[in-house]
Amino acid sequence: MSKKKLATVWLGGCSGCHMSLLDIDERILEVAQLADIVKCPIVDGKEFPEVDIALVEGAITSDEHLKEILHIRKQSKILISLGDCAIMTNVTGMRNYFNLKDVIETSYVGSVSNDDAGEVPNHWALLKLNDKVYPLQEIVEVDYFIPGCPPSADAIFYVLSELLNDRIPDLSEAKKMKHG
Amino acid sequence: MNSQELTTLYDKAKQKNAQYKHKICVCCGAGCISSGSEEVLKKIQEEITARGLENEVSAVPSGCMGPCNQGPLVKFLPDNTIYQKVDCKNIQYVVQRQLIDKKPIEDLLIFSDSREKPFLNADEDPFFKKQLKIALKDCGDINPEEIDDYLNIGGYSALDKVLFKMLPEEVIAEVKHSRMRGRGGAGYPTGFKWETVYKYVSAEKYVICNGDEGDPGAFMDRSVLEGNPHRVLEGMAIAGYAVGASQGYAYIRGEYPLAIKRIENAIKQAKKLRLLGNNILGTNFSFDVQVRIGAGAFVCGEETALIASIEGKRGTPSPRPPYPAESGLWGKPTLINNVETFAGIAPIINQGGEWYSEIGTPKSAGTKVFALAGKIKYSGLIEVPMGTTLRQIIFDIGGGMQDDGEFKAAQTGGPSGGCIPAEHLDVKMDYESLLSLGSIMGSGGLIVMDKSSDMVDVARFFMEFCMDESCGKCVPCRVGTKMMHDLLQKICTNHATKIDLDRLEELADYVKECSLCGLGTSAPNPLLSTLRHFREEYENRIRQFEELQP
Amino acid sequence: MSMTKLTLQIDGRSIETESGRTILEVCKENDITILTMCHLKGITDVGACRLCLVEIEGVSKLMSACTTKVADKMIIRTSTEKIKRYQRITTELFAAERNHVCSVCIANGHCELQKLAYDVKMDHIRYPYLFPQCEVDTSHPLYVLDHNRCIVCTRCVRVCAEVEGAYNWDVMNRGTNVRIISDFNTPWGESITCSDCGKCVEACPTGALWPKAVVQGQLNKAPEFISDLIEKRKMKL
Repeated sequence: MSKKKLATVWLGGCSGCHMSLLDIDERILEVAQLADIVKCPIVDGKEFPEVDIALVEGAITSDEHLKEILHIRKQSKILISLGDCAIMTNVTGMRNYFNLKDVIETSYVGSVSNDDAGEVPNHWALLKLNDKVYPLQEIVEVDYFIPGCPPSADAIFYVLSELLNDRIPDLSEAKKMKHG
Repeated sequence: MNSQELTTLYDKAKQKNAQYKHKICVCCGAGCISSGSEEVLKKIQEEITARGLENEVSAVPSGCMGPCNQGPLVKFLPDNTIYQKVDCKNIQYVVQRQLIDKKPIEDLLIFSDSREKPFLNADEDPFFKKQLKIALKDCGDINPEEIDDYLNIGGYSALDKVLFKMLPEEVIAEVKHSRMRGRGGAGYPTGFKWETVYKYVSAEKYVICNGDEGDPGAFMDRSVLEGNPHRVLEGMAIAGYAVGASQGYAYIRGEYPLAIKRIENAIKQAKKLRLLGNNILGTNFSFDVQVRIGAGAFVCGEETALIASIEGKRGTPSPRPPYPAESGLWGKPTLINNVETFAGIAPIINQGGEWYSEIGTPKSAGTKVFALAGKIKYSGLIEVPMGTTLRQIIFDIGGGMQDDGEFKAAQTGGPSGGCIPAEHLDVKMDYESLLSLGSIMGSGGLIVMDKSSDMVDVARFFMEFCMDESCGKCVPCRVGTKMMHDLLQKICTNHATKIDLDRLEELADYVKECSLCGLGTSAPNPLLSTLRHFREEYENRIRQFEELQP
Repeated sequence: MSMTKLTLQIDGRSIETESGRTILEVCKENDITILTMCHLKGITDVGACRLCLVEIEGVSKLMSACTTKVADKMIIRTSTEKIKRYQRITTELFAAERNHVCSVCIANGHCELQKLAYDVKMDHIRYPYLFPQCEVDTSHPLYVLDHNRCIVCTRCVRVCAEVEGAYNWDVMNRGTNVRIISDFNTPWGESITCSDCGKCVEACPTGALWPKAVVQGQLNKAPEFISDLIEKRKMKL
């Protein structure tokens, strides 16, 4: 059996899901036996390659993310939403209850930590925020979901090892589902 | 007053009316009033006085005559000549020609602008000729503000009959025999409902008249209440006698101020003559009616929500059973019927259940009032025997499509109903036939649409209505209608995919099966029926969007 | 009311019970799981959450187990594929309607909605989140009302009226705009009816009502305390 290709992606999230992924500790060796991690936030590389499995952390918050997730979907056989931000926008989405303009002004202009010359950053190289934050499944088709903030290392390892061994994971059956 | 005195009253009313050679009825239903009929009535009365005809001619306000978009309407009796769109400036001329010269003005007669030759006797016009009026029978002919006018046509004789010649069981048997079904929408057999309430033993029982007509485009109940309030009161009193209740409530929506005014006036008049109140017609039977005014929630037309509203609580429905017949208002057995149902009771008692049961179809007896609206030539209020086809209603009575457009669909039953496409124009308008097409009879709203109507948008419109009117108590209706509305909006703006349509259909089944009350369970109907008959309109929009995707 | 013995079948099991009971009560006595959210033992059932819907043979509609009384020879099914599917949709709609951000919610780990999500195996929500802007009322000295987490089960409303007798809570508006209100929609801290008893807080299944004295992870509500209280009051010791 040829080794599978695995990628992990960090979109609009806090990287906590990736921390949890690292918490699988020595079990990473088992994963490494079955798959090559070809792209992740600490693997350098410009283009997102074709992969068997993509673990995506975080919600879609900007034009960059939108472009990225559409591309990732095309490149991945299996796309997994990793963590509450990807699945339900979670903390990232808490700005959705307000106008984007109000949110930005509150953060950059009105914030108590600002001196009186607060200013909204405006540079062409900066990404442009969407009006609303979206969970992945509202933008692309998602194959599996690992909820949790963060998901437990056990849950992540379970899903990965099932998929790498060509089995279908069921977090609920495995009693590893967790919201929040 | 006793039964004999009632006969005396009838004679008096007859005498009073006999002195007039002519009666001029000016439609003062809400529709005609808004086109200025009250001013017309005033001018006619002034004209009569000016000509010194006040002892020969009576000019009175009346209830709805039917062709509402032709108002203000003025009817001359006994000739039965109706003038349409009567202008205050023309009154002198009309009175002169109609009453003095006996040369009716053809150009001003009803439907004169669209018929080659209008009819002097309106009943010969196809609009009226093909109708059969029971609930609306006297609506355009009597003054709804005068009990004398109702007595003159034998009003309260059915109540007199049941009190002196019938046992409650016999009244119920007669209603059962008529095979009448509730006109509020669901079509539950009226007689059985009465029997159920009758059978529960309780010192207190209640009769409620549901006048919380909320369907967009429907005004059947309003017209009956405005045009013949005493008939409804008589029906309620008969029901009270039959089921053993002594208190009635007429629950009328606050948006019907005229109906409320007229029924309150009617109650006052009936009480004065002891036709309502304690010891009616000298018997042991007492029955009082109080008016309760709805505050604008559509859901209060649902019986359990209506009862909660009368009790002074938030108007939200509760699960049935227990049905109101067992535990209704203040936890007592309660009979709740629609305005139109009560309006049909007195004729059934007077002319017999047998007579009524022979009208209509085997499973749906009697007549049904429909409110014609939309792209139809003559919109307004009509009453036809059950089983009349949709084609007859739209093309024979309603005069066909406006501006000679092409018929596309008709929505029956309002936001709880469904649409009927052109291939089913020959459907019989009765409970079962409409149900088999995925629509319902509902309370009788009938909205006609031509080719310019977008059926996805129609579904979206009704879903928006249900979403706004959801009381918010149960989850399927509260959130489900919102989600369905948003999905429909997405389809309407060409942003939806096949997956969205699947979700929409799944939600529709869910809301239909899981909602707590009739508002929720019927909310998906417009969507489901447009999907059934016009699925290609949904799929076209989805295809258009999907083709644009990279 | 006299009780008569009756036999019925639930999920293929033959069960003997007495008349006057609800399907939900009989199921609980026989360890048959019925999911509920608006039900709280002891207070009036309203059949609002629609999670406890069951199929009854010969009845065309699904009936709420909490409000439907058992009858002799009733054949009831509580966990058909259809019912499970509908329970999951209901849960998804609950979660999509308001802002249930478990990770920052006071009730995280002690929340009936969260537990329900596990029961119906909900790993994601297929409908767009509504993200409504909701108020948080912190005006009461002891408690907080957070509309973001409210599922409008009205357990607080009923417990306040039926057990405490204070009638502080009610519901306003329609559709997804419904909100639980204190008095006539005034800040809870200004209530002239609230007795500060905290029963509503105990009765609340989510993090919509909570005591200011706790931090996340420490909140542990005891709605069964309300049910016990009602039982004890009946005994009039």
